[in-house]
Amino acid sequence: MATDAPLIEKRNNMLPAIALLAAIAAWAVPGLGHLLLRRWGRALFLFLAVGGLAVVGYGMRGEMFNTRSSDPFGALGFLADACSGVFYFLGRQLESSGPDISRAAGDCGTRFLAGAGVVNLLGVLDAYRIASGRKR
Amino acid sequence: MFGARVHLSHFAAMVVFALCVSVAFACLGRQTTAGRIKYAVWSLVLFLAIGVGIAWLMYPFSR
Repeated sequence: MATDAPLIEKRNNMLPAIALLAAIAAWAVPGLGHLLLRRWGRALFLFLAVGGLAVVGYGMRGEMFNTRSSDPFGALGFLADACSGVFYFLGRQLESSGPDISRAAGDCGTRFLAGAGVVNLLGVLDAYRIASGRKR
Repeated sequence: MFGARVHLSHFAAMVVFALCVSVAFACLGRQTTAGRIKYAVWSLVLFLAIGVGIAWLMYPFSR
């Protein structure tokens, strides 16, 4: 029992790095952080939820904000959108005809895309807490 | 490249949004399968009830 102490101490020293890695993975691909932490169910459903919101948002031709927004709401929109990780960077492929916020559907799509990012941000925080030992 | 158009009514869009967010909340907020299902269903019902309720409250001001 006493021989495990150095191993446990070494693992505890690595926890912040593991937690950071899990958070980055969770941001990059929704659910990947939980997958690395062997939380299979959470990983699958998080990916489906974030992916569903993003794909439907793009399908409704919602607007994905970029860094060049001139107003604060655009900057907040960019932050929310960027949190969806790979779905932000796949935007041009998933929305080949571009956004159309002149219709109500496009406006709803913008909310879907922001929602996808915010939900993934919760996933990132959850993966970080699990990896750092603050949550089961 | 993959750009398929999605045509949803306002209500259908609200249901899809509520479903996705409820599933994510349930996965992140509860540990057991039974707890997650209960939380997801309860959250979905509240999303829809509050959404329809607010729509009815705003109806007199819509015209």
